[in-house]
Amino acid sequence: MQPFRYRISGLQVASAFELPGAIPAAAADVVADVQVALGPVPTALQGGDRMGPNWDMVGEDFLLEVPSLGRFHIRGGREIVIALDDGASERDASAYVLGTAFGILLHQRGALVLHGSAVAHNGQAVAICGHSGAGKSTLAAALCREGCGFVTDDLCAISLDHDAHPVILPDGRQLKLWQEAIEKLELTERRGEAVMGRFEKYFLAPQDTVPAPLRLRAIYLLRDARPPLVEGIEEVSLADAMHALDREAYRPGLRIKMGARPGLVMQSAQLLAHVNVFRLTRPHDFAKLPQTVRALRAHWDALAP
Amino acid sequence: MSDPGGIVWLASFPKSGNTWFRIFLANLAAGENGPADINNLDERGGIASSRHEFEASTLLDSGFISHDDIEDLRHAVYARAQAACEEQRWIKVHDAYTLTPRGKPMFGIPGTRAVYLVRDPRDVAVSFSHHLASTIDVAIALMNDDNGVWCAPRKGLANQLRQKLLGWSGHVASWLDQTDIPVTFLRYEDSMVDPARNFSDALAFAGRAASSDEIVRAIRHADFSELQRQENERGFGERNPRSKSFFRSGRVGSWREILTPEQVARIEEAHAPMMRRLGYPLSIEDVA
Repeated sequence: MQPFRYRISGLQVASAFELPGAIPAAAADVVADVQVALGPVPTALQGGDRMGPNWDMVGEDFLLEVPSLGRFHIRGGREIVIALDDGASERDASAYVLGTAFGILLHQRGALVLHGSAVAHNGQAVAICGHSGAGKSTLAAALCREGCGFVTDDLCAISLDHDAHPVILPDGRQLKLWQEAIEKLELTERRGEAVMGRFEKYFLAPQDTVPAPLRLRAIYLLRDARPPLVEGIEEVSLADAMHALDREAYRPGLRIKMGARPGLVMQSAQLLAHVNVFRLTRPHDFAKLPQTVRALRAHWDALAP
Repeated sequence: MSDPGGIVWLASFPKSGNTWFRIFLANLAAGENGPADINNLDERGGIASSRHEFEASTLLDSGFISHDDIEDLRHAVYARAQAACEEQRWIKVHDAYTLTPRGKPMFGIPGTRAVYLVRDPRDVAVSFSHHLASTIDVAIALMNDDNGVWCAPRKGLANQLRQKLLGWSGHVASWLDQTDIPVTFLRYEDSMVDPARNFSDALAFAGRAASSDEIVRAIRHADFSELQRQENERGFGERNPRSKSFFRSGRVGSWREILTPEQVARIEEAHAPMMRRLGYPLSIEDVA
């Protein structure tokens, strides 16, 4: 019996060790969807041929090596087993359990996983996608400071509700920000513990966390306003939006490698039947965040519900 | 043009003509459809220190791995990129050529080769300070720091992975003195005088055939005045947002009007042996 229980992206997670940043779930009598445990992990997958420099995949079996941390065995969308390197701690492993490992697991479960953060506005979710360092979490934090609810950070898992409408399941994790952003946004009093010991990135104590699945209204692709891109918000054509979902997926190549193409196209089409995709081009500058927040809010007001 | 495949590292200390050469390559590919749009270059090589490429290859969150571990993995990432490289890929590199913490040459992948671009460090200092939007003294300090790195803030995430620069002399020596992969070098100043000859040599070294007409046309389309014209009209995406312009002067010897004698001395004292080796005459006598 795993002692720690969490609800992450709609899944009951039972873990052998604490996962800081995840919101504990009470229902210990519910059967867990996902088990996180320490245990033996093979150094290579049988029948595999090293698909990546530090990872391999054979069917629903995924092996990921994280330097100076350990090997992660992610199986069938329901199990993450970790063999820690000497000197590595469970505490450090938790950052990767909640990051890359969970992203892979969600891909295994067939979810459409975007590399993005999401916030709630007027009872609907909007996702902000972009590469690492693009400023997704910073913008989400700025939006939450101005009254939006916090839905998810970094990993944005989308599924369909009973009406086949795309929803984001709040992942129950806390927003994570680099120290520089915390200082610039004046959020020091809400700074929590470090996400991973050696790095200056911290959890942010939750403000308004959204508890229930929210319908996804729009996806914004975050871009820096540098030539030839000029500041503004513009809708992306349907064809470009299809490509964007591949490109903005959490670890883009993975979605393609793990899913059969017709299924992916169907999944994207179902999403785009309800969700508009926009390119949000703004100066990558803390001082200009307030104007980006204003522009987004004005844009939401103009969007049909 | 024939294409022998494989990676060519287009390596240089920052502000040494790397972008000019990449734009030349893009114009070579564009042929008579040039001049290529500097903001939409048809060259997919990218930069070796791209955070996004690293994460796409390793699936890892590069913010949660130490710089040293990233270097060890970068060697493996490039080995795979080389194995998968059917069309020749020129990849921009500002890292020095170093061994990773586990002793692997980060860029020393069999089958790859390197074209190293070098420029008078006194002109680099002027251009580098504009690029960094800093004082010239800050630029010189980084050029004189044998352990110099960039893109390694502690409190945030730089848009690129950490790159060891090793100072200007250290950078040049690291690439030219390594013996793992074939390397040739071009002096910026020579390219300014006779670009056709210099760039032809570089293409020949890389095994990439192009006619002299193609080369001359690509050089014309990558002329500095054309690059400035495009930047003035529409801007340039690779400009540091804090600096005024990317294609600023490109001139040879502008340091004579800009650097103080004391700044010149600081550069020459730190880099005299390498400057002599590369044929950059010193303005001060007999430095140690």
